[in-house]
Amino acid sequence: MWLPHWPITRLSRNGSASPDRPLVTIEAIRGVRHLVAVGEAGEAQGLAPGQTLTAARAVCPALVPVDADPVADEAALGRLAAWCERYTPMVAPDPPDGLWLDITGCTAVFASEAELVGDLAARLERNGIPCRVAVGGTPGAAWALARAGEGATLTDLPITCLRLDAGVVTGLRRLGLRTVKDLVRIPRAQITARFGAMPVLRLDQALGEVEEAIDWPRPPIEWHERLAFAEPIGTPEDLARALARLAERLCVRLGEQDKGGQRFVARFFRVDEVVPGIAVSTALPVRDPAYLTKLLCEKLDTIDPGFGIEVIALEAEVVARLTAPQTQLMAGADASDGVAGVVDTLSNRLGADRVSRVAPYESHVPERSVRRVPPLPVKQPSWVNDPASPRPIRLLRRPEEIDVIAPIPDDPPIRFSWRGVAHRVRAAAGPERIASEWWLGKRTVRRPETDLIRDYYRVEDSDGARFWIFRAGLHGQERMPRWYLHGLFG
Amino acid sequence: MKEGERIGLLARPPPPSPLPQGEGEDHSVVPSVRYAELQVASAFSFLRGASSPEELAATASVLGLSAIGITDLNSVAGVVRMWDAAKEVGVRLVVGARLSFRDDTPDLLCYPRDRAAWGRLTRLLTVGKGRVPHGDTSEAAKATNRCFLHYADLLEHGEGQILLAVAPDRLDDSFRTNLQRLAADFRGWAFLAANRRYRGDDARRLRAMAELPLPMVATNDVLYHLPDRRPLQDVMTCIRLGCRIDQAGLALQPNAERYLKSPKEMERLFRSYPEAVLRTQDIVERCGFSLAELAYEYPDEPIPRGLTPDEHLANLTWQGAAIRYPDGIPPKVHDTIEKELRIIAQLNYAPYFLTVHDIVRYAVEEGILCQGRGSAANSAVCYCLHITAVDPAQINLLFERFVSSERREPPDIDVDFEHERREEVIQYIYKRYGRDRAGIAATVIHYRPKRAIREVGKVMGLSEDATAALSAQSWHAGEGLWSDDCLKEIGLDPTSFVVCRSIELARQLVGLPRHLSQHVGGFVLTRGRLDETVPIGRAAMDKRTFIEWDKDDIDRLGIMKVDVLALGMLTCIKKAFALLGIKNMAEVPTEDPAVYDMLCRGDSIGVFQVESRAQINMLPRLRPRVFYDLVIEVAIVRPGPIQGDMVHPYLRRRQGVEEVSLPSPAPEHGLANELEQVLGRTLGVPLFQEQAMRIAIDAAKFTPEEANQLRRSMATFRNAGTIHRFFEKMVEGMVARGYTRDFAERCFHQIEGFGTYGFPESHAASFALLVYVSAWLKCHHPAAFACALLNSQPMGFYAPAQIVRDAREHGVEVREIDVAASEWDCTLEDGALRLGFRLISGFSQEWAEQLQSSFPRKREPRAMIALDSPFRGNDGFAALVRIGLPRAALVLLAEADALRSLKLDRRAALWQVRGLSDMAELPLFAHQPIAIHHVPLPVMTKGEHVITDYQTAGLSLKSHPMRFLRALFTAEGVLSCAEAAVQTDGTRLSVAGVVLVRQRPGNGNVVFCTIEDETGIANVVVWSSLLERFRRAIMGSSLLLVTGRLQRSPEGIIHVIAERLHDRSAMMGRIAEATEVPSKPRSPGHPRQERIFPRSRDFH
Repeated sequence: MWLPHWPITRLSRNGSASPDRPLVTIEAIRGVRHLVAVGEAGEAQGLAPGQTLTAARAVCPALVPVDADPVADEAALGRLAAWCERYTPMVAPDPPDGLWLDITGCTAVFASEAELVGDLAARLERNGIPCRVAVGGTPGAAWALARAGEGATLTDLPITCLRLDAGVVTGLRRLGLRTVKDLVRIPRAQITARFGAMPVLRLDQALGEVEEAIDWPRPPIEWHERLAFAEPIGTPEDLARALARLAERLCVRLGEQDKGGQRFVARFFRVDEVVPGIAVSTALPVRDPAYLTKLLCEKLDTIDPGFGIEVIALEAEVVARLTAPQTQLMAGADASDGVAGVVDTLSNRLGADRVSRVAPYESHVPERSVRRVPPLPVKQPSWVNDPASPRPIRLLRRPEEIDVIAPIPDDPPIRFSWRGVAHRVRAAAGPERIASEWWLGKRTVRRPETDLIRDYYRVEDSDGARFWIFRAGLHGQERMPRWYLHGLFG
Repeated sequence: MKEGERIGLLARPPPPSPLPQGEGEDHSVVPSVRYAELQVASAFSFLRGASSPEELAATASVLGLSAIGITDLNSVAGVVRMWDAAKEVGVRLVVGARLSFRDDTPDLLCYPRDRAAWGRLTRLLTVGKGRVPHGDTSEAAKATNRCFLHYADLLEHGEGQILLAVAPDRLDDSFRTNLQRLAADFRGWAFLAANRRYRGDDARRLRAMAELPLPMVATNDVLYHLPDRRPLQDVMTCIRLGCRIDQAGLALQPNAERYLKSPKEMERLFRSYPEAVLRTQDIVERCGFSLAELAYEYPDEPIPRGLTPDEHLANLTWQGAAIRYPDGIPPKVHDTIEKELRIIAQLNYAPYFLTVHDIVRYAVEEGILCQGRGSAANSAVCYCLHITAVDPAQINLLFERFVSSERREPPDIDVDFEHERREEVIQYIYKRYGRDRAGIAATVIHYRPKRAIREVGKVMGLSEDATAALSAQSWHAGEGLWSDDCLKEIGLDPTSFVVCRSIELARQLVGLPRHLSQHVGGFVLTRGRLDETVPIGRAAMDKRTFIEWDKDDIDRLGIMKVDVLALGMLTCIKKAFALLGIKNMAEVPTEDPAVYDMLCRGDSIGVFQVESRAQINMLPRLRPRVFYDLVIEVAIVRPGPIQGDMVHPYLRRRQGVEEVSLPSPAPEHGLANELEQVLGRTLGVPLFQEQAMRIAIDAAKFTPEEANQLRRSMATFRNAGTIHRFFEKMVEGMVARGYTRDFAERCFHQIEGFGTYGFPESHAASFALLVYVSAWLKCHHPAAFACALLNSQPMGFYAPAQIVRDAREHGVEVREIDVAASEWDCTLEDGALRLGFRLISGFSQEWAEQLQSSFPRKREPRAMIALDSPFRGNDGFAALVRIGLPRAALVLLAEADALRSLKLDRRAALWQVRGLSDMAELPLFAHQPIAIHHVPLPVMTKGEHVITDYQTAGLSLKSHPMRFLRALFTAEGVLSCAEAAVQTDGTRLSVAGVVLVRQRPGNGNVVFCTIEDETGIANVVVWSSLLERFRRAIMGSSLLLVTGRLQRSPEGIIHVIAERLHDRSAMMGRIAEATEVPSKPRSPGHPRQERIFPRSRDFH
């Protein structure tokens, strides 16, 4: 199977690609950026791999360049290979843009090879993956036919169909050997003497004179389990039972390799080809089937079974090492121990974005110097507060305006009243001048450098209570400065 | 504090004298206290300071600072500009640097007190710069501005310096210890720079500082002149750190306090420590050094005992004159020489001329061709000294116009050398003067719109394509740059905050310096040690050293500079001369009518400067007949005259269509012919930079100094305000004196055009000589000329294929590359041009030399083979193999079809070479017989041969690819270029050809394409209205079919104005009948894509 423009296909499936703005992948070779892959849309606009980005922009200014990522391309190819295992267990990726499928004896489900191929191609096409599939007696022949198109006979094909390095192809072409037929005519020893063993080997493999061993990947380590039903099912209870069985199986396999999953996806293959799904994430790797089932079932009510579900598949999408034998994360249905369990329950129930932890963040502006982050795992803060400019124990959510008597322009106040209580300042330190983060651009102020600055003071009143107050704005500007209380020291 | 008292600084009363305000400037602001800002990082602390020296100086003047210092990070790169700016606004400047050390020494502001101390500071920086390993890009190198200093260096060079220690964030014990050491080592001259940082702990911090062993001096650690610059400074920080603005976090300053503050404000901030403010003035008083003291002395040239430099120069000049004029010096020239020598003596310029003479003498002795140009170069003296070959009698330039006594500028002579041998001259200069007396000038790389928006956009988080689209717009000049309409055009929302802010910041960034680079060849030479005047750093290129100042700085200080430049055409001329046995340019007969006839036909491919499409079109219109016409030809196709709309008036006057009249002022304002001397020679139309500047002086009454400022402000892309001021002054000045507004405005626009690509008459004259010499070679020795051109590649406008084609059209016989006849370079064989191995892409010179020395050269290989058996077929091939070239070399030779003299055509040769086992290269097997295998390889068609020729050597002598497609095109009704050329004006026709050149000039309204077929070339004009529809064909195709209207100018120049364009690149495949199928994609490497033609040369 040949997947023309595979990198582009991969990229455009997640993002939005339009024919007017063709996506291309680029790579810098000695500082010059070149096009690596070009999609159909790009080809239509006259782009070609190998062009420099500058030249390509001259031809098509609207193009959208993305850095080439062969590793991701290959990973995606691996995932596609796993998906193809619905047709045959013998699937191997053929990087950079092909797949091998050994369908020998796999046609039982389908009436014929052609039907299998048709089904495969149609499904991929529906998913926005252009492909060309060809069946051949040998891998080499299939490879060539997939790329050369239908109705070709092997000997008429150009030598490019023999899976040879570009250098060898150029060398053969320079000798006038353009098609397989040309090559066959030449004594093999002479070819081998000139171009090494490869051309002859590939030729023989294509013609079936030499067996070709394809490197089928190891038995699937993909964390994937599926359950097919004789009759479509639909009740929530049935679905929950099925999920429990799948979770059991998956967790056993995870356990065998000391792994745990952090993101699980259950897919429900409906009879009408719609595939709704549930995804759950956990803060720490997990492989407790009961716990996993519980997380999944909490979301089961989002699944509309329609006319029934034929197949359920459960997959661990993110897998991490989990060596410590997991005794019991969730002791019972309603009791939990450990922060992780609570976090997961809350996250999956309330939504992952509703549960968070507060962590320091690099910003001079006090209320922006903390930030909500995923609750687990706990990481070391990237910075610590400067002891020269201490921060209060408690920062008010919203600074509260206060009345102040203070000498101008920037001396600390002498007295202030907050929430109706007057305080006399006994000692003060400051100001600490903090300007707004201009790049946020939320407010429109004529001179943000003076109007939006704050002067913070640490003050102690006559009772020994310490406050963090600030004056917003400077004297002598357009707006009168105002005073606020922003925090309390212990 | 105790320390301070002991040295008596505190006890000293404030100086009673009035402020040193400079040249009679009257300031309305009279500060209550005198304060000088001594800690200032200008934009020359690259990507740290956010204001230019000019902005800082101007603000200091407005605020009424008693003085301003400049302390850039381990550098004095900005001091000259600061000095100039401070003089301008009448502020006293103290120059220094901020020293940052590699050991735990705190940063120190270093202010030299006198000239000797300045020399020590620059030597200190030179030492530090020399210590950074070549190519070091470590954090340490970046943090110290590529200058590694240690405290020991300071001790060595510290005499006479005033040092201000910069306090780190935390005043720890190590800092205290360091201060004690400083106090002991620099008794009385070390201070502590104290500032209010607004970090909440200022009071406590200042109290702690007051306890430290050095007296406090108030500073504000300035990064910009106004608080409004904080965003730009933040962005610069991000550019420096390579992060986005929202990720920079605490690397940014928390507030905008680091601007220039008024004395009053500083007094308030330091009201508890008034002496810290007063001490600033004290330090200023103690720094007696000014850059004006850097009196420049010309290097000593060896002068015979008992002679003065003037006498020696005179002797050399008269000796040279005797050689130049063997039949006796014409009286007119005699007078000129005497007059020039008088001016040179009066201005003490003799050592300068002697220096240039020495460099040129070296080059001549070494057989390196050179040619001087520049204001002083086209003088009779330089002609006699062989600095230039332009006979002053021929062009009649006025020497004193360039070297005038009132403009106290050093004379300017640039010397071009053969580009392949310039390095020898450079190394000679280093050897002759020593590395401590010679250095290359710096070039300050300023932010231009393109780079500014790219870097700001990245920091602001604009998407890459938005940034790219904005930077692609950067050719819009001035106000039009990134206007709302432009933004809409590229699909950006002009009201979006990020877009707006990015553009605003990019605009601020434009014109600020980014980093220093080395000038292409401007050498600074001194009599004493150069590193005692300016720090010298190591250049990226090994064996070069360059100073921190650029050519404007050097100009301002009156330091001598000689430009040692590289010119490809000199290499070519030299190579042609060598083939023809000509010694120098003086041997070329002058004013040869045949040469001018050729140029008038526009037959100028390969000729220096006039081979571009625009020049080829201009030649038949200008019709050069004498040398001075070439001077004009060189200068006229340039942005200056074009923007000033001076080209057409000149052509009309020259053709006699328009009357020659001199623009003149109203009678009451001056003589009607006041511009006669300036414009007389160019028919009343200003074409050269000098003329435009002269008009500013004579007609708009600029002072020479103002004219210079005008020229400089044009060159630095900045200060839209200043340019506007000059515009007003010049135009209104001229209008007030009775000139027409139109003429005045055009003159100004012309100066604007010169700004970036100034082209003075004095340079044009020298270039014109090279135009003439190369045209003469092309006219009379086309084979040698083509040969030299090919051997000097890459240079010029055309690829080897066009050069060879042009040579053949001029009757030169060109012979194939052949293993038994070619050398690395192309050669001449009895008048025929034999192509060399250098044309085979990927072939190495080493292999060629091995072939030349071991494989017998035969002049006429084909004839020879029939008689001489060792070179027949198999044996010849065996002999070739035994030379022991690597197989890759043999493959390249075979692919280039260079084994024909061995009776092996390309495919057979390739088969043979491929068949060699690697063993054959070992000596043991060297004498084994090599069998020839005969296999049924497909016969190569001629088309395939031609295509493979192009692929391997970039050209084919066998045929032109278009010939194979001609039948197909004829069937479609497509004309050949030759047929098209004879059609009548306005005919609608189609032509097709291989795209040679694409050009999209600045304003983007049009794309010019040159296409070639087997009969000739056609120029295609594509207006922008068609661009979008046919973009793919225009920009992307290698074989282009154009349908359009023929346009014929009165001079017979032919263009096809395109109406439709088609990409026919696919037809290339038909030439060899190759079928293409997606090949097995590449393995990790990057095999070159197979392309048939050399890339078109595109100038977007």
